[in-house]
Amino acid sequence: MTAILSVRGLVKHFRGRGGLFRDAPPPVRAVDGIDLDVPEGGTLGLVGESGCGKSTTGRLVLRLIEADQGTITFAGEDVRAADPPRLRALRRRMQIVFQDPFGSLDPRMTVREILEEPFLIHRIGDAAERARRVRRLLDAVGLAAHHAARHPHQFSGGQRQRIGLARALALDPALIVADEPVSALDVSVQAQVLNLMKDLQRERRLSMLFISHNLAVVRHMADAVAVMYLGVVVEQAPRETLFAAPLHPYTQALLSAVPDPGGERRARVVLRGEIPSPTAPPSGCRFRTRCPLAEARCAAEVPALRAVAPGHRVACHLV
Amino acid sequence: MSALLDARGLTVHFGPWAVVEDVSFSVAPGEVLAIVGESGCGKSMTALALMRLVPEPGRVSGAVLFEGRDLLALTEREMRQVRGRRIAMIFQEPMTSLNPVFTVGHQIAEALAWHGTMSGAAARAEAARLLSLVEIPNAAERLSAYPHELSGGMRQRVMIAIALACRPALLIADEPTTALDATVQAQIIDLLRRLRAELGMAVILITHDLGVVSDFADRVAVMYAARVVETAPAEALFADPRHPYTQGLLASLPRLDTTAERLAAIPGQVPPPFALPPGCRFAPRCAHAKAPCEAALPPLLPAGEARAAACIRLTGYAAP
Ligand SMILES: Nc1ncnc2c1ncn2[C@@H]1O[C@H](COP(=O)(O)OP(=O)(O)OP(=O)(O)O)[C@@H](O)[C@H]1O
Ligand code: SF4
Ligand code: SF4
Ligand SMILES: [Mg+2]
Repeated sequence: MTAILSVRGLVKHFRGRGGLFRDAPPPVRAVDGIDLDVPEGGTLGLVGESGCGKSTTGRLVLRLIEADQGTITFAGEDVRAADPPRLRALRRRMQIVFQDPFGSLDPRMTVREILEEPFLIHRIGDAAERARRVRRLLDAVGLAAHHAARHPHQFSGGQRQRIGLARALALDPALIVADEPVSALDVSVQAQVLNLMKDLQRERRLSMLFISHNLAVVRHMADAVAVMYLGVVVEQAPRETLFAAPLHPYTQALLSAVPDPGGERRARVVLRGEIPSPTAPPSGCRFRTRCPLAEARCAAEVPALRAVAPGHRVACHLV
Repeated sequence: MSALLDARGLTVHFGPWAVVEDVSFSVAPGEVLAIVGESGCGKSMTALALMRLVPEPGRVSGAVLFEGRDLLALTEREMRQVRGRRIAMIFQEPMTSLNPVFTVGHQIAEALAWHGTMSGAAARAEAARLLSLVEIPNAAERLSAYPHELSGGMRQRVMIAIALACRPALLIADEPTTALDATVQAQIIDLLRRLRAELGMAVILITHDLGVVSDFADRVAVMYAARVVETAPAEALFADPRHPYTQGLLASLPRLDTTAERLAAIPGQVPPPFALPPGCRFAPRCAHAKAPCEAALPPLLPAGEARAAACIRLTGYAAP
C-alpha cells in the first residue's frame, strides 16, 4: 500500500524557560526521531502509554506545533516547507478530532454555527448551499436536522463526538488525525462511534492516524500499528502481525498487560518500575531500565528501527 | 458459607431521584466482588453508601450487614471504628486522599497510631514494612518522600499500604487502576491479587473496565441505571451473560484476540435518573423488549447456579 502520510526523523523538544535564579530545565524530549507511514485509504494506529508522545506527534503532523527536525510528506507534498497559503490549503485536507469534543467545541455557538464555520473561513457556497451542507453533515454522522439549533452542552458525550467528527469532515479531508476519539466514552457508546468512523472512512475513502492508549480499540480500527515508548517508535507492523507475533519486548509486555475480558488469565510479562522522565531518557535503548532482556550493549548503543519483514520494523538489539 | 458483608435493598436518594435503588449483594470472606457498569450507573455511590460516606443531601436506606451488625444503624462514632479498621477504601486518584504537606511515612504512621497503640519507632518500622509489602523499592528511604514526588502508580501503592495498615477484613477499591497506564495497572492488579491471597481479605472492586473484572474478580454484579441487573460468578458471566444489557456490553467491546468488521453497539444511551422509562430501564435500548417489559420493574430472580438476572424474558415475559 502506498503511504498518504510519511514522517521521517521527526523531532520535537519542549524547552522550558529559566529565570534569574534558576537555570532553564532540561528540555522534554517529547518526540525524538520517529518514522511513520499512514497507508492511503487505511488507518495507522499509534499506541503507547501516557506521555510517550502520541498527541505531540499528531499535532506536529498538522503543524499545530512546529517540529524541530524531520520531514513530513503528505500526498507527495513537503508539509514543513509549505508557506502560509499552501498550509491553509493543506489543512483543508488534514483534520483533527480530539478526545474531549466539549473542550474543542465553542459552547456559545450552535451546532449549525460550528459546522458552518469552516465553509465561511474557506468562502464556500452561499447561505443556502451552506445550510444544505450542514444538513448533509448532520445526516452523515447520524444526528437529526433539529439538532442544528442546539448548543454543545445539550448533547451527550457520544453525540458531541459526532459533532466533532462532522466538523472534521466538513471540508472533505483526505486524512483525519484522531487523538483518543473514544477514550472519554462508555463502551456501549464507544462502539457506536467506532462503527460510525469505520463507515465514514469507507464511504469517503479517508486515511486515518488513529491515536489511542487502548490496544483493543486500535486493533479494531487500524490496518497497521506503531508502538511508541518515551518519544520513539519501537515497533511498527501490520495489525495481525503486531498482535499475533510482536517482536519488541515492550510491545510484548504491553500486550500481556491488558486483560482480555472473558479470555484466559494469561501469564504476564511483568515490567519493573514505571516510565522514566522524558527530560532524561535512559542512554542507549530507552526501554532498557524496564526491559527483562536488557544486556550491557543496550545501555551503550541506540537500537535502530530496522525492517525485519515487509511493513514490519523493530528497534531492538536482540531482534 | 456465611457472608462477610450483606447489602440488602440499599438505596440512595438525592431529592426525589434514586441514584442507587434496591441494590442487594453479598461478599464472602476473602472473595473479590466486582461491581461494574457505565458512568453514572451508581456504582461509586454504592461504595460510598457501604462506608456511610454519601455526601449531603444524599439519603441512604436499606441495610448493610457486616460482621453481625447493620452499618447503617451504627452511631457515627461506632462507624468510625469500622472505617479504616475493618473496612478500608482506596480511590481512583490517590492524590486527592493523600495530604500533600506530610511525608508518606508520617501518613502511614498516623494511620497506624490512630487505629492502634503503636507509636514512635515501632510505627516507623511498621510503615517501612507496609511499603515493602506493597513492593515499593527502597521502602525505608521512601518514608521521607512527599506525595508529589511519587508517580501515580507509587501513590496508589502508598494508598494501599495505608488501607492495609490495620489489616481490614474488606477493602473497597473504587476504580483503583483507571488513572494508570496499562503496564502499571497490571502491576497494581497483581499486587492486589497477591495481598488478597496472603492477607485473606475480601475486596469490592468498583470498575467500568471489564478486562480488569475478568482478570481479578470472583463474582460480578452488573449495574444499569441505579439497579443491579445481573449477578454471577465471573467466569459464567463472561461465558454466558443472561441479561440483554450484559450481553450488549460484552458484544460492544473491541477484542484483542479477534477482529470483527463491526462492533455490536447498543443503540441509544443510558437514561438520566430524572427521565427513567417506565418498567424495565433497559427497554428503550433492548432488542428483546416487548409490551410487558414496560409494565413493571423486572425483579432480580435466580437465573441458574449462583446467579440472578432482572429480565422477564427469562421467565417467558410473564410477571413472576
Ligand atoms: N507544550 C508542552 N510543553 C512542555 N511539555 C510538553 C508540552 N506538550 C507535551 N509535553 C510533554 O511531552 C511529553 C509527550 O506528551 P504527549 O502529550 O505527546 O503524550 P501522549 O502520548 O499523547 O500522552 P497521553 O496518553 O497522556 O495523552 C510529555 O512528557 C508531556 O508532558
Ligand atoms: S535493545 Fe535491549 S533493552 Fe532495548 S528492548 Fe531490546 S533487549 Fe530490551
Ligand atoms: S425485561 Fe424486557 S426490556 Fe428489560 S432486558 Fe428483559 S427483555 Fe429487555
Ligand atoms: Mg495524548
